[in-house]
Amino acid sequence: MATFGTAALFVTFVLAVYATGAAVLAARRRDRRLMQSASNALTAAFGTTLAATFALLIALARHDFSIRTVADTTSLQLPWQYTLSAFWASQEGSLLLWLTVLTGASALVMFQNRRRNRELLPWVAAVLGGITVFFSGMLSFVSQPFQQVSGPPPANGAGLDPALQNPYMVAHPPMLYLGYVTVAVPFAFAMAALISGRVDSRWLVAVRRWTLFSWMCLGVGMLLGAHWAYVEIGWGGYWAWDPVENAALMPWLAATAFLHSVMVQEKKGMLKVWNVVLVTATFSLALFGTFLTRSGVVGSIHAFVQSSVGPALLGFIAVVLAFAVTLIVWRLPILRSEHRLESVVSREATFLFNNLLLLAFAFAILWGVVFPILSEAVRGVQSTVSTPYYNFFLVAFGLPLLLLTGIGPLVAWRKASVNSLARTFRWPALSALAAGALLALLGLGSSTAGLTAFSLCVFVTITIGLEFARGMSARRAIAGTSWPRSLVDLIGRNRRRYGGYVVHLAVVLLVVGITASSAYSTASEATLGPGQSMRVAGYTLTYAGLTRSSDTNSTTTSAVLDVSRNGNRLGSLSPGQRIYPVEGRSTNEVDIQRSMLTGTDLYTILQGISKDGRSVTVKALVNPAVSLIWVAGAVFLLGALITIWPDPREARQLARRYAAALAREA
Amino acid sequence: MTVRPRLVIALAVASLLSVFLVYTALAGSQTLLVSVDQLAANTSNAKSRTVQLTGTAVRCEAGPCSRLDAPFVFTLKDDGSSGTVRVRYGGGSVPDAFKEGRHVIVTGRLRDGTFVAEPDSLVTKCPSKYSGGGDGGSG
Repeated sequence: MATFGTAALFVTFVLAVYATGAAVLAARRRDRRLMQSASNALTAAFGTTLAATFALLIALARHDFSIRTVADTTSLQLPWQYTLSAFWASQEGSLLLWLTVLTGASALVMFQNRRRNRELLPWVAAVLGGITVFFSGMLSFVSQPFQQVSGPPPANGAGLDPALQNPYMVAHPPMLYLGYVTVAVPFAFAMAALISGRVDSRWLVAVRRWTLFSWMCLGVGMLLGAHWAYVEIGWGGYWAWDPVENAALMPWLAATAFLHSVMVQEKKGMLKVWNVVLVTATFSLALFGTFLTRSGVVGSIHAFVQSSVGPALLGFIAVVLAFAVTLIVWRLPILRSEHRLESVVSREATFLFNNLLLLAFAFAILWGVVFPILSEAVRGVQSTVSTPYYNFFLVAFGLPLLLLTGIGPLVAWRKASVNSLARTFRWPALSALAAGALLALLGLGSSTAGLTAFSLCVFVTITIGLEFARGMSARRAIAGTSWPRSLVDLIGRNRRRYGGYVVHLAVVLLVVGITASSAYSTASEATLGPGQSMRVAGYTLTYAGLTRSSDTNSTTTSAVLDVSRNGNRLGSLSPGQRIYPVEGRSTNEVDIQRSMLTGTDLYTILQGISKDGRSVTVKALVNPAVSLIWVAGAVFLLGALITIWPDPREARQLARRYAAALAREA
Repeated sequence: MTVRPRLVIALAVASLLSVFLVYTALAGSQTLLVSVDQLAANTSNAKSRTVQLTGTAVRCEAGPCSRLDAPFVFTLKDDGSSGTVRVRYGGGSVPDAFKEGRHVIVTGRLRDGTFVAEPDSLVTKCPSKYSGGGDGGSG
């Protein structure tokens, strides 16, 4: 199996080298047969990578401890689902997942474009092939997934880190990787547009769904990771501004900026340079995130094992940046805007400000991540920035962004008058002010940023609500349909616009959840004997005693806490400590009681058990509205799917625009 | 004023504001990250200020590190030499991955030769989906 997998990866490398060379030649000679051959080679590379992937999965399933990655990340006692998810627990396995997604996406791009974008496709194939050469080369020569253990195979493996034995860890890494890797497709099209000189909006249209898909996967992946941290790591939070978390957030912010600025290029022929810069930034940041997690250059709660792939990845990022910057500079003369920005009060200006804020936030995060390296280079000793630094920028850039989320979609293109702005935003602004005053009266004025965020959330919600109401009224007036039917029709007729609004609603829910759970959280810690109680934010927790339970690969000791509020019993919670004998580790197992009405969590952690077993130390947190963050994830997914879903009407419009563009060129 | 100059000014103001924000935010929230040897050598006055200390946990005084609840005392060893320092972790959560041989970061201050760590400041470089598997399978 190991020989087969290694051979399959080497064949992938050879195919990728051939595809890259053949695609470049096909582009230069305008040779369609050679292009077809390059396309076939890329598709075949997906097949061979898939073969290597199955080989590793079979080795995991068969507990083949002669393979180092299997011996290091699994054991005979590990449940089957985690035995398979151990695929991406090792560096080699996660790189193989990278390559599988990359070659799969490349094959799909070749298939989707077999009859269109013929001028761009050879260069797209060359760029995707080049990226595949790098990753298959690393897996073939630097970080081999099928490397054998030295000496005889061990009787049992070392097991999987207990923190990774969680259902969210089965879904979170692949989702994040789908996002990271598929960003390569928009990048390849952008580079192809620059090389071929076809820099109109056609390449943007070709990658729109790919960009949305990458962005959706990154967003959902981050939320899955946040939920994993919340339920598994056991400190009561869900985001710690860890470099690995930041690594996913940065390309997501850049992709968000790109999704907005493409609309300006499609509609007005502006921001052409900006868009290729954003695509390059997104892909480079995705690669930088991969580099961060492997190089060991920055401290993190995640493992930053020193490895040989770090320098290779850094070199590859340098090549990508040099390649892209050279092309952009070379093509600057044909990247001029077709129109000028006429007013700072217009939709295009609003999108531009939104872009600046998103990029500034991404830069602030990048600065925070690399600050230890920079400070060491300058002063000889590392300095780090902590949570207050990131929170400062979250507020400084996040609140204006939230305001623009409400304003942007409703401002007219080209130029808006003050009167029309007053008409459009009168009710949302008054509602936001009234909500702010009400919340201050209710005692939420302790956090100015929190109060401002809530008020802006009301502003955005009202603007979106009015948009839906206006659209549905118009549909009813035209077609005489019911309200629910008019809602479905409205979304169906303009999926991009109304799907975008749904995503904006998700942003509102996310902001409310994050603000409430961080600015208004309450925590308490106490050591309790049987029958003793502690209070936190109106809840009373009474310790009833210890219980023990066993699983196939772990033993758990839990403290039973009876929960009541205002004298009413609300059930019990059992936070525990779990011991994994094979891995030689213990973990905290939190227990959470969730209010379906308010979304508030009562979150309990068993901090310690006294040596005689008579008392326990319990930490309890009340996190208001934290559930809204996970609801926001579902709404975000719904909105993103609406925008991605194929729209025949849009396809017909695009076909007409293509035909017109081709006629102009002819 | 035409639109273009106005936009240029707006962008310049935004850029300057960003730099200013970066500067002010950094000035208030950066913490020195030192090794055990750098702490011993008092690099950048590390002995007299709150710092992040990094090294490898080699021994806990009350028993196996992975079974302890705070408070406890452990020995932290420099990653590049045999230098050690005693660390008193007074309270707060103990990361699941904390055990002997683990690389850790802890925030606190040196007092009478013992590094007194702040509550909830103990962070382990734990293995994850990104680990290289070169640490005996556990990171």
